[in-house]
Parts: sequence; C-alpha cells; structure tokens
Amino acid sequence: MNAETNNTILLDHGAGGKASHALFSKMILPLFSNEYLDMGDDGAVYSVPAGRMAFSTDSYVVDPIFFNGGNIGDLAVNGTVNDIAMCGAIPLYISVGLIIEEGLPINDFQEIIKSMATAADRAGVKIVTGDTKVVPRGKADKIFINTSGVGMIPEGVNVSGSRALPGDKIILSGTMADHGIAILTAREGLTFDGDLKTDSAPLNHMVKMILSSGCEVHVLRDPTRGGVGTTLNEIASQSGVGMTLFEKDLPIKKPVNGVCELLGFDPLYIANEGKLLAIVPEKQASKVLDLIKADTFGKNAAIIGEVTDQRPGKVFLETAIGGQRLVDMLTGEQLPRIC
Amino acid sequence: MGLTYLEKFRDPSLAKNLVTAIHKESRLTLRLMEVCGTHTMAIFRHGIRNILPETITLLSGPGCPVCVTAQKDIDAFVAVSRQPDVIVTTFGDLMRVPGSGTTLAGQKGAGADVRMVYSVFDAVTIARQNPEKQVVFCAVGFETTIPTIAAAVLMAAKEKVTNFSIYGANKLTPPALAALMTTPGVSIDGFILPGHVSVITGVDAYRSVFETHKVPSVITGFEPIDILHAVLMLVRQNESGVPALENAYPRAVRESGNPKAREVMHQVFTVGDAAWRGIGLIKNSGMELKPDFKAFDAGAQFELNLTDVAEPKGCACGEILMGLKTPVACALYKKVCTPMTPVGPCMVSSEGACAAYYNYG
Repeated sequence: MNAETNNTILLDHGAGGKASHALFSKMILPLFSNEYLDMGDDGAVYSVPAGRMAFSTDSYVVDPIFFNGGNIGDLAVNGTVNDIAMCGAIPLYISVGLIIEEGLPINDFQEIIKSMATAADRAGVKIVTGDTKVVPRGKADKIFINTSGVGMIPEGVNVSGSRALPGDKIILSGTMADHGIAILTAREGLTFDGDLKTDSAPLNHMVKMILSSGCEVHVLRDPTRGGVGTTLNEIASQSGVGMTLFEKDLPIKKPVNGVCELLGFDPLYIANEGKLLAIVPEKQASKVLDLIKADTFGKNAAIIGEVTDQRPGKVFLETAIGGQRLVDMLTGEQLPRIC
Repeated sequence: MGLTYLEKFRDPSLAKNLVTAIHKESRLTLRLMEVCGTHTMAIFRHGIRNILPETITLLSGPGCPVCVTAQKDIDAFVAVSRQPDVIVTTFGDLMRVPGSGTTLAGQKGAGADVRMVYSVFDAVTIARQNPEKQVVFCAVGFETTIPTIAAAVLMAAKEKVTNFSIYGANKLTPPALAALMTTPGVSIDGFILPGHVSVITGVDAYRSVFETHKVPSVITGFEPIDILHAVLMLVRQNESGVPALENAYPRAVRESGNPKAREVMHQVFTVGDAAWRGIGLIKNSGMELKPDFKAFDAGAQFELNLTDVAEPKGCACGEILMGLKTPVACALYKKVCTPMTPVGPCMVSSEGACAAYYNYG
C-alpha cells in the first residue's frame, strides 16, 4: 500500500516528495484553483489598489471536525473572511495552512477541502497560497487549519472597537449561541430535540451592503469565542463607554435556549460563527437593521441594547422581569453544572 | 419541560404583580436565605435583588454542592488523579475547584486522565471501555444527585464492572439547615428551600427542622416567578406572625418526594458525618457506602496520605455560607479572591455567593 492508493493520510504526504505533490496537485489544486495558486510559487504575488488594507489570521482546532451544518474547513474560511470584514474591509485573498495528523481518512480530508472551496466561492475570496504538513499520529488531533487573509478597506470607512459612542444602538445580526451549542452537543454526544446547527457563514456581503449604504457605522465585531457578552465587554473597555442590553430583545432559538437552561450555560457567553454586532448612531439604527435583515444571514437581527455614558467599561442587562445585572467578561470556560 | 411552559414562569407582567405585592406587604426587615446555589444563580441572573424592597435582604446559604466540598476531599480527588492507571471522572463545575494546592483542571493539564462527564453513568461506561484502568467518580452533590450515584453503583455491581469506584463526598440538606439554626449569631427570617433536592426528599424531610426552629420556609423552583412567589409567601408568613413550611413548587415536589429514589439511595449508602468547606464537620450530614458496596469505595483503594491543611486565612466563606456576612464584607473579595484566583468555596463555583456577586454585580 503506498501513499497514492492508501485511504488515509500518511507521513509521506507531508514529506515534500511525490506523495506530497500528488496530494496537492490531485486533491487540493483542482478545488482551490485560481490564477495565483496555479503559479505554484512559494507565495502569491498580486497587485493591490491604493488605500488601506486589513490583514487577519486565525487557527482552527475544533473538535469534532464535522458537526451539524458544517466542518472545520468552511469554519476556517468563514472565520477569517469575517475577521477581515469586521475591519470594514472587503476580503480578497486568503492563505490556508493545514496540519494533518497521520491516519486522517482521505475521504474526510477531501470533504474538508471541498467545503473550504465552497466557502471561499460563497464569500468571493481566493485561496492564493498555502502549506500542508503531516505530523505523526497523536501529535495533532486529526487536522488543524490556519487561515490568514487580506482585504481592502473602502475609502471613508472607519470601524473600530474604540469608536462606540454614548447614544449608539447595538445590533446583533441573529440568534445567539447556535455554533457553541452545536459543537458542544456533537462533542459530548448529547442528543436534544430541535435542530442544533452551527451558524457558520460568511458575513462579508452583509458588511459590504451596510458600508456601501452610506450609513455611519462605528463598530463591527463578530462575537465568536466568549460570545456576545465577552465581545461587548471588550468594546465597552476599548471605547470607554457603558452598555445596557435588554434581555427581552436578545434573539435566541428555543432549542438552543433549552440546552443552555438544562446545562446551566449563559447563552451570552457562547460562541457564534455567523453573527455580527454592529454599533451605529441611533438615527441610523433602523436603516442598518433593515439592511441586515435583508441579508440571507441576518433574518433574525435585532437591536439588543444601547451604548451609555454610565459606568464606563461595564455592560449591564435589563432582565425580562425588570431587574438589572452585570454582564461581565467570561471567566474561563463555562462548565456544566452538577444539578 | 417545554420552553413555552417555561416562559410562563418568566412572564414580565406576572413578575410585576408579584413585585408590587411584595413592596406593598413588606413592612418588617427580613433576612431570607436561599439555601440552594442554583437559586443564588437565578436570583442574580434575573436581577431579583434589586427589584425587592429595602426591607428584604437575600442571603446565600450552604447549598452549592461544589462550594461546600471540603478542601481535603478536593485534595483526595487530585491525589487519586495522580495514581497510575486511573481515570478520574467528574461533573464539570468541580474541575476548577482548588484544594490546598492544585485543581482537577490543573492535573489534567499536567497529564492526568481527568474526564468531565454529564452523568455518573458515563463514568460506568468509561470503566467498561477501559477494563485495564481504575475509573473513579468524584461523588459530590446533595440529594438531587445521590440517587443516580447509588443507581450507578448498583449497575456496576450487577454487571460486575469491578474497575469502577466512587470517592464519596455527598451531603444532605436538612442536617445542614439544622446545624445552621443552632449556630450562634445566625439570624434568618425565612428559608427559600431548594426545589430539585425537594423533588427527592419531599416536604416531609424539612418537618423536624421546621418544628424545632419555626423558621418560615418555602420550597420553590428556579424561575423568577417561582422565586418571587416564594419571597411573597415568606413576607406574608412573617407579617402575619404565622410561620409555616409551604410548597410553592407542587409541579415537581410532592409531600413524600420520590420514595423510589430514596430507597435506591439508602440501599447503597448509610448516613455519616461530613466535613463542609468553610463550616466544618456536621453530624449525620453525609453519605457513606454500606459494607456490601465497599468494593466501590475509591477512598479504601488508594494510599493517598492526605494531610489536613488549614483553610485560607482571612476567608469569610464560612460566615457567608451561614448568612453572617455578605461577600462584599470579606477582606479578600475582589482583591485576592476572584473567579480566576478563587481562595474560598463561595468563589470556586459559578453558583457560589461570591462568584455570583462578582459575575453579576
């Protein structure tokens, strides 16, 4: 059995020889093909227009690598596309670094690569350079992926976590905690009623639509690890403002909320992979909300709170029953409760 | 329970009516104690403290199972995880609880095989899958979890899963209430009694404590409407001067509780003394495996050589758990004691009073 005919990834596939070449030319290149990658050079060479560029990187080590609604491949592409978009940029080119554990089934690898190609097409970005390494069994967990990317920021766009102002409205582009709960239930083999599916999605088209509408946008951020609560704490701290959220307005799917209730998790701290927070001046809020709702991935968007000049750096929640509580930054990982 | 049903217990207009009634009827200054950690969390999460009148102070009691697990028991769990060919299984919120040294999470990082489980039965499954290893379950929690732990021991005994054992640190609620009421300086005008524990114990389990101390007591659930309803009932009992033991959670709690669950519990365990973190030894407040099930006692299987280490100086958790102090009155609170660097039991679990104060403000 050699690397050509074997049905799992072998160390040979990362050795830089014929097997490596075959993996790239037969499995990866046909799916990722574009004028830059096809050159076969050590890096991508491309022209860029004058202006400001955004550059972002992220690594993906999710377990399990396949979950309801996606896999580590499309997650890795969408994640970096979104990070670039949250800088107010239009993502153009991304790189892919693959670290594969010896023994990964070829079929799994192919499925991951296919989904990366599909995600890149959907986002309108090109995978222009990359690298593949294979490590001995036990030295990695199936597959790790790093994606980095660049995008150009249109003239006049200036979004940053430090630009939230008192009076601004906080918009969330859809339901909270979908991704984190999908991953948790898949990882732990927990079965619940309801469709617990990742929300992994590219948000660059939504961002482009908002920014090209002429609406003023102060902050864009995708609330991934740490969820909406932690992300808003970061922004409150960066901008030196306070925030008030309204529990009654927080969008969450009932099955997701049900799992959170059962395990004692606060959905405000659970990861999202296809949602954005937009902080915009009050006079623009309803227009931006309508634009987000018009997007495929923004149908359940809602204004969830406002920026205040009270208690800078703190985020508070007005509870549904009229109480108030602090939404602090998440401390460590949320752990399921005993009872 | 469906979410639509659940939503009725979070209805803002119903909550408003209850809050209005509490404000209207509350004249006496009252110190009410929620015994259960899940109640503590719910009170903070729904912002209940700041919608109650100034006459009412809510205190957190010794009802967070993780918080009251003795430092020595945590040290034992950690020591077991250091043994060769052992898999330690635990409920999630025990992972970060410090003993006198490290935590189970720290041990996992150092290479020990520590696994988080959602049910004690998962631990039995892990034992079946790993016959060459000893699988030890860290048995913590109150009456809510004890029957399932007992059922797992029975299952392991029946199926001859001989590599499964438990390190017992379970505790009982009514003896803790009795101990609390006989502690000098403790002054409580009403107990909000735990809903889930009472599903097992029933109302009857609290009767002797109530008859002895005549403290207004209401069993309730964990939704905001449940808690506000219980507060109103306790206000009315105090205002009328007629203390009672009432059940405001009849959708889940019966007078006699769940006799079958208790039968399973007592088939495997017998009552013994237990050390409570921050409080000390409370007579007849723990559970020990009966002689027939000693083969499942991890404590008897390993030479752990544990030493007693004094609890941290300056920590007021003992007084907080008994309602003698609030977290903000502790000299260590937020200074050296935080959720990331917890010193005492009330900060180690998200359900602890100090953690709830810290996280929810």
